[in-house]
Amino acid sequence: MGETAGRHGCEVLRSDVVPGSRRAKIEGAQVISESRSPTPPKSFLGGLPSFAALILLVAFGGNRVGAASLSETIDREIKAGWEREKLNVPARSSDSVFLRRIYLDLVGMIPSYEETTSFLADTDPQKRAKLIDTLLADSRYGRRQAQVFDLAMLTRDHKLVDGPVGYRNRGRFREWLAKQFAANEPYDRIAAKVLQAEEDGSQLYFAVYGNPDEMVAGVSRFFLGTQIQCAQCHNHPFENWTQKDYHGMAAFFARTVSVEVKEKPEIANVKGKQYLVGEKTVGEAFFSIDKIDPKTKKKETIPIPPKFLLGEVLNEPATPKDFVEPKLKPGELPPKPAFSRREKFVEWLIGKDNPFFAKATANRVWAQFMGRGFVHPVDDFGSSSTPSHPKLLTAIETELVAHKFDLKWLIREIVNSQAYQAADLGEVKEALPKFFERAPVRPLSVEELAASLPIAMGLGGDAALKTEPNKQMLEYLGKPTDGQGRFQGSLTEHLFFHNGDGFRGMCRPNKGNLAEKLLTGTEDWSQKVDRMFLSVLNRPPAGEEREQFAQYLGADGKDPKQATQRIEDALWVLVSSSEFRFNK
Amino acid sequence: MGAREQLGIPFQQVTSMNQNLHQANHVSRRAMLKGTVVTAGGMAVANWGALFHSQTIAAEAKRSGKRCIMLYMEGGASQIDTFDMKPGRPTGGPFRPIKTNVDGIQICEYLPKMARHADKLAIIRSMRTKSVDHGIGGYHMHTCYPSSEKFPHAEIGAMIAKYCENPESDLPSFIKMGSPGCTAGSGYLGPNYEPFTLGTDGQLPGFVNPGVPLAVQDRRAELLKSFEERFAKQRPAEPFASHRESELRTIRLMRARKAFDVEDQWNKARDRYGNTPFGRGCFTALKLAEAGVPFVEIGQVGYDSHNDNFPVHKANLSVLDPAWSSLLQDLHDRGMLKDTLVVWTSEFGRTPAINGQGGRDHFGRAWTVVLAGGGIKGGQLYGASDRDGFEVAEKMVDEGAYFATIYKALGVNHRAKHYLGTRPIWATPEGSKPIEELLA
Repeated sequence: MGETAGRHGCEVLRSDVVPGSRRAKIEGAQVISESRSPTPPKSFLGGLPSFAALILLVAFGGNRVGAASLSETIDREIKAGWEREKLNVPARSSDSVFLRRIYLDLVGMIPSYEETTSFLADTDPQKRAKLIDTLLADSRYGRRQAQVFDLAMLTRDHKLVDGPVGYRNRGRFREWLAKQFAANEPYDRIAAKVLQAEEDGSQLYFAVYGNPDEMVAGVSRFFLGTQIQCAQCHNHPFENWTQKDYHGMAAFFARTVSVEVKEKPEIANVKGKQYLVGEKTVGEAFFSIDKIDPKTKKKETIPIPPKFLLGEVLNEPATPKDFVEPKLKPGELPPKPAFSRREKFVEWLIGKDNPFFAKATANRVWAQFMGRGFVHPVDDFGSSSTPSHPKLLTAIETELVAHKFDLKWLIREIVNSQAYQAADLGEVKEALPKFFERAPVRPLSVEELAASLPIAMGLGGDAALKTEPNKQMLEYLGKPTDGQGRFQGSLTEHLFFHNGDGFRGMCRPNKGNLAEKLLTGTEDWSQKVDRMFLSVLNRPPAGEEREQFAQYLGADGKDPKQATQRIEDALWVLVSSSEFRFNK
Repeated sequence: MGAREQLGIPFQQVTSMNQNLHQANHVSRRAMLKGTVVTAGGMAVANWGALFHSQTIAAEAKRSGKRCIMLYMEGGASQIDTFDMKPGRPTGGPFRPIKTNVDGIQICEYLPKMARHADKLAIIRSMRTKSVDHGIGGYHMHTCYPSSEKFPHAEIGAMIAKYCENPESDLPSFIKMGSPGCTAGSGYLGPNYEPFTLGTDGQLPGFVNPGVPLAVQDRRAELLKSFEERFAKQRPAEPFASHRESELRTIRLMRARKAFDVEDQWNKARDRYGNTPFGRGCFTALKLAEAGVPFVEIGQVGYDSHNDNFPVHKANLSVLDPAWSSLLQDLHDRGMLKDTLVVWTSEFGRTPAINGQGGRDHFGRAWTVVLAGGGIKGGQLYGASDRDGFEVAEKMVDEGAYFATIYKALGVNHRAKHYLGTRPIWATPEGSKPIEELLA
């Protein structure tokens, strides 16, 4: 491992020239805000030879106490974890492993053949950091981030996928989210806007979570990183909260209603229905107590006033005694209340003293790129879960707040770290190692597969963007894990690739796709095997692989019919492999 | 020998004729570890890249060697017109009771063949269940939990697949045909235990049929194998192994798909089972149980008789009676009944009161399910409804007790605990207890 450690140390230096993330250190804190602009400024080092940059960094970087970039903090703390746990230091990922990983993580699809070959041929030692900046500015970034957050917020099958507010009909919500992420809207603002539900598309959140119990469970899980829904029916067995805490939280949402906007042809399209969200002036969360009502012979229920989780009871004006909620027609919202409980909740959520929000966000974004949170699962903050790296979690939380919830900044710091760029090799068996001693192994989502297959088959980036997972793919490839996120292979998934027309169609020579290039190209089979591997797996074949595949492809000589079948076979092999199925 | 041949599969690998059928019909795990795998069809399939069963699966699967076949009467079968008759009462309807081969048990005249199997049946006439519409009732009677919990519960088929499956079998462990009854699937148990759905008559879905000739399948599987081996050498992570394993199972299923092809034998059996999709489904279920599939569900559609309850039930029972009775007979003749639980159930029963359209409506307050075979003490009536069938008169059975009894009969822990994220979930809710009197 000595050699590996040496390489690792060297890499730390090299990654020190990451543009963007290093600006703060060199030029002072005022530059930080710049990195939040939607298109990051070109590297300030752009005009300097990299050697000079290194000198600069070594000279200035070494002595500054407390001015380390977050990337450096990450690597220091992760390394400390390896030492503490006596774990082997992982090697650095190869360029092709990094390339595929960063494309999937930042833009939700694998790189094309052209993108692959140009990156692998690039000899610039800063090419990784440059690619990261390019992809963060790519128009696909917002779309990708929206897919991830939509699923994390609303899940794939909380509602029937084809139902009115199901996964397939949430296009408007994802589109709205994509705009927020593309513009790099501060994340606390995004959270506030989801819960204010006023912008077109954002209202889906409260259409999916249609009653106060679902709302409080969903909001707590996602935005607070806590699971208080168990306290709906019983005091939580491990945590601090009680049933009253739960119902106190539910009271903030007891008045929220959503209505469907009907009969508007210009919006009733394939992306799904539109909703409006409002709030009534009265309405309470009720809690049944251990007292029998003598009249009804049932348990008495009492209204619980709104109370912030582990915080104060909301100080609210009394509703006028003679107030009567107006009768509403179907599809009509109540008049805006003079006092909005939900608005008070939003103020608390993103307020500077909120004990949950920044921490939950830091943990969630970390988990998105590193496979697991310091608290795992990501929404399990509570007295019983000790974070794996408490200091690092606090550091990320603090810096995220200092950077005004700039998500692109945070993501850039994470993916520029050595920890993120660790190799995929090693003895570790866990899919998601607790101390990040090997890169996480996660199955591609059905969205990533739907976009990556056309790219792998040489159909181009436009085809990838247009391909939404169809119903079959959602069913066969959409939920590959058991209840705890562990991957489980399924028969139907493989049958889909074996015999399904969708995939087989892509493998047949057609309109300049990969199969046609392979069939009609004049190169020899070895070169064609190179193209095949670079297209599908984003790496050149190993010598042995090149030989074996070339032999397989050429076994029937020049007969085009036989060759077509053999090309399909070889593409099937690569796509059916674990290497394609997972991000590693 | 005969049974094996009936399956239509040449068992070249079978070493002992006395082996249990479903043991004979699988791949040896040791062979898998060594490197070569042999399918039920005797076909060698290479083992891929240090393939092993993920420890989680191996450790959790405590196989009981038992199986379950569930006959699901979609729409809600009427208890009063089948097993809980009320002759002479205003709610009784026109059907007459007949004697069975057990003293004191009478059933509907339109179940004459089943009357000869009453000694195998435990008839529970005191079901009281909470979800009395189709969607929610189907969900509740498949998962033991109300759908209102908004939780991805697992269907009974997935649970039994998990705990009774033979992981070395070539065939899926949870098979459904006919009306689905419930679409919850494997829920928190994950895709390993998703139902594998056949056509209404037990035919395989088209995508199981290989898109390319066998020789091509073989040569490309060989190429994939060496590719995966190379990849696995430095990457022992469990998801990769699970992926390779399901690929191998897929290939084995495609090779073993003849097990689903019961055409020849069906020609001989169809007069007994009734030449209907449901009859053929029951026969296919028998063959799949023989081949070691731990859970098969067959739905019979069309019991939702809000109008014309009596003609509807008469017609449905004429399909049910020969199929169900032949299934029990054949299981018995093959010595399989003691290890095969046959469940007859619905989402709910039907109202004792007969409505203005001669129909009966949804009813959960006092209805009937029937258990037979594996682990069940047959020839008994359990519980009772009152004179007119409006209420449970004795020994009320709720969803929890019903599921717990089935699980115990199959050797499955009815309080098996799993997690969804951090939330624990049990096979049956807290307080559910098996009914010991029903168990053999």
